[in-house]
Formats: sequence, C-alpha cells, structure tokens
Amino acid sequence: MGEAIVITSGKGGVGKTTTTANLGTALALQGKKVCLVDTDIGLRNLDLVLGLDNRIIYDLVDVVEGRCKIHQALVKDKRVDDKLFLLPAAQTTDKNAVTPEQMKALIDELKREFEYVLIDCPAGIEQGYRNAVAGADSAIVVTTPEISAVRDADRIIGLLEQEEINPPKLIINRVRKDLIKQGDCMDINEITTHLSIDLLGIIVDNEDVIASSNKGEPIVMDPNNKASLGYRNIARRILGESVPLMTLDEGQKGVFRRLISIFSK
Amino acid sequence: MKKQLVHMKGTKDGLVLRLDDQCAYSDLVEELERKVSEGGIDGRVNVSLDLGYRYLLEPQKQELINIIEHPGKMVVSKVFSNVITVEENDAKNQGNQCDTYVGIVRSGQIIQAPGDIIVIGDVNPNGKIEAGGNIYVLGKLKGVAHAGIGGNRDAIIAASWFEPTHIYIADVIEVMTNEKPIVREHAEQLFAYINTKGIISYDRLQEVRKIRPLLNTKGGS
Repeated sequence: MGEAIVITSGKGGVGKTTTTANLGTALALQGKKVCLVDTDIGLRNLDLVLGLDNRIIYDLVDVVEGRCKIHQALVKDKRVDDKLFLLPAAQTTDKNAVTPEQMKALIDELKREFEYVLIDCPAGIEQGYRNAVAGADSAIVVTTPEISAVRDADRIIGLLEQEEINPPKLIINRVRKDLIKQGDCMDINEITTHLSIDLLGIIVDNEDVIASSNKGEPIVMDPNNKASLGYRNIARRILGESVPLMTLDEGQKGVFRRLISIFSK
Repeated sequence: MKKQLVHMKGTKDGLVLRLDDQCAYSDLVEELERKVSEGGIDGRVNVSLDLGYRYLLEPQKQELINIIEHPGKMVVSKVFSNVITVEENDAKNQGNQCDTYVGIVRSGQIIQAPGDIIVIGDVNPNGKIEAGGNIYVLGKLKGVAHAGIGGNRDAIIAASWFEPTHIYIADVIEVMTNEKPIVREHAEQLFAYINTKGIISYDRLQEVRKIRPLLNTKGGS
C-alpha cells in the first residue's frame, strides 16, 4: 500500500504544480513507482509542465464517471522508465464534477499499485481543495517568502490540522538569498517559527525552473541545477533519509579565499 | 402539636420567612395563606423567602410570592434556595471557568470561550480569540482578541508577546496600526485593559495586580 501526499498552498502561483512535477520525477528517479494526480479540474497544468499534454486520451473525470478504466487514463512518462505516471485533470468541466468520496476511492485504488501518489491541489479552499485532500495520507504545504503566501499557508495548515491526516510539512519555494540578506523578505527561520510545522526543504529561486517548465521538462532532470538539488533533497527526505538543509551562503567565499582575493588585487 | 411549616424570623437583615422543605407543596401553600392573613404586621415590610432544600419551578415561586404580597403588607425582596438545577449550575460555572486551548490559532480560525481562556501557543494574524472573560496568551498574540464579549469592561487581554492587529474589550475597539509606544518598544509581557477614562490602555504584566486587583482569587502572602 503506497502513500498519498497532497501538495497544497492556499495561494495560487507559489509553485504547487512545479513542485508536484519535480518531486514526482525525483522520487521516480530514486526508483519509486509514482503516480501524479492533477485535481485542478478545469484548469489543468501538470501535464504541460511534464510535457505530456499531447498524450492525454482519458482524464480523471472519465475515470470517476466510469467511461474508462484507470489504466487507460494513466499517461506514462517515458523519460523515467516505467516509474512515473500522470492521471490528468479534465479540462472541459469544473471542480464540482467530482465529490470527495469519489476522489478518495480513486486515490485508494491508485495507492494499491503505486508507492507514492502525489496529488496536485488547486488554489483556494473550496470544492477543489476538499477533493484533493479527501484521499491524502499526508500533506505538503508550499509557500514562498512573501507575506501573502505565508498568510495563506497559515490558513491552509489550520484547515489541514482539522483533517485526519499526518501533520503537514512545509516547502519554502523561490527563496532569494539577496532579498533575505537585505531584510526585504521573511527569512527561513521566521517563516518556520511563524507556521511552526516541520520544514521539508527549501528551493532557491532559479530562472532555469521557468525555462524547463516551458519546455515540458522538470528541472530535476538537470543534476547540476541548484533548484534541482533542492527537489532531490526533499525527495530523499520523503524516503526517510536525513539530508542537511541547503545553506544559502554556499556561493560566498571563505575567509582564506577572501584573503587571497585581497592580496591578488 | 402539628409541625409548623412556616417560620417567621427576624434577623439583622430583616424579616425572613423560612418554609419547611419536607412537607407537600399544597400543605405549604395552605399554611402560608393562613399565616399571611393572620396579620400582626403594621405597614409594609421587606421579607426574604428561604426555601431551604426545596426546589421550586418559576411559576410556583411566583405563586408563593403572590400569596405573601396579596394582603399588601409584605414585599418579597429576595428568594433563597439551597438547591439549583444542573443546567443553572452549568450556566453559572461556564461564566467562571477558565478554558485552555493548546495549539496555534491560525489564520481564519476562531476560538471561543464563555469565560476566561488560556491559549498555549500563538495566535497568528487573522486568527481570533473570543471570550466572555479574560484572555491570556502564553505565546505570541499576533491576531485579534476580543475579551469581555458580554459587556465585561473589566476584562483584560494578556500575552507573552503582545503584537495584535486588533483588540476588543467589551464594546471598545482598538486598531493597532498606530502602534502605541509601549507596544512598539516592548512587546514582551503586556496586557490591555480599559482604563478609568474608558479607553484601552496597556501596561506590563506585573502591573495587573495593581490595575485589576479583583482578578486575584488566590490570596497569598
């Protein structure tokens, strides 16, 4: 029996879909059998980020309404051999097409076959959110260091704490060390003490993430990218490894190097 | 001799009518009617009614009062009884008890208490505490707190870290955007109260004893 993890944030545009795609790919690269479920019915994006949009035949609503079997709707990602699958959302209807009970039954069925089922939650706290959370065993809350995203994360954590699932964990996305250093945005410590839930990892802000998303290629595929490393670390933490938190100052020179650079001027 | 069911007794607080609490209610009514019509009292006097361990419904109470007041010589000022119903007791207790909430009050959550409440954890922005009595936050108060909701203007709001967005005490509202100097410079261990001018004021927790001495229920030497 696998584990179903819902990836949510409350606020839109903080990187839920990107996180889902990258974490799923990272887990698959680690050899786990992973299914990604897009519950953003009516506004599906996850297929685009994974570059699987032109291979969709059936979708989540087709499965729920019995027009096809689950297997017919699952789209396989050929880049990660037989490990990564996507259950795409429907684009022609809306969130009310599915009930939380139907969603739970669907996720339970997927959990029998996959080791990890990652559920990409839509923004907001309405029907779509309730559907996404219904089948989950645990939750990951994605936020950015912006005050509005943190406020919404706080709200969503409050709602998640009322569900019968494991305590939610936090990913801070799009961390910019220059802004933190200037004191222009909340630092990691401030956010984690404010929300007071476990920090699963941080992802540094990186332009390549946007570029690779546009290409339909999750950034995790690039082993040298810093954001990619962040996602890989989080995947390893989900698998139970203890990986130290990435330091933001990695690019900075040490005392010795700095001395050399002074003398070499 | 038959047992007397109605005793009339003079105390330092005035005349007390003590009614037997073991006999049948109808017997009591009968004897009370007789006793009242006997007279012997000049002018109007205030009496209190002592029911002992008898529980009376509100209409029964009213009936007895009517009997006593009918001749126009006595006025019932108070009714004593040693017993109350469970509901009455619960309602009475609720106002006095102190609830405990353990956890973080997050954005969008409202925690309510009929009496006092202790929050062990933070109150985050857009989180709200509503209490009939006082609010004590053992953590950071960064949201909204409304103390003395039923109109208790003596209620206070105390917090280990006092940084709320709004403070309500009874019907007085304080928006914290124009932060008070004491709050800005010293957010640690503050409390809010309504001062003698009727506006919300702040002071260090150590001053509660001076400003609201009645909050102290423990004595101490």
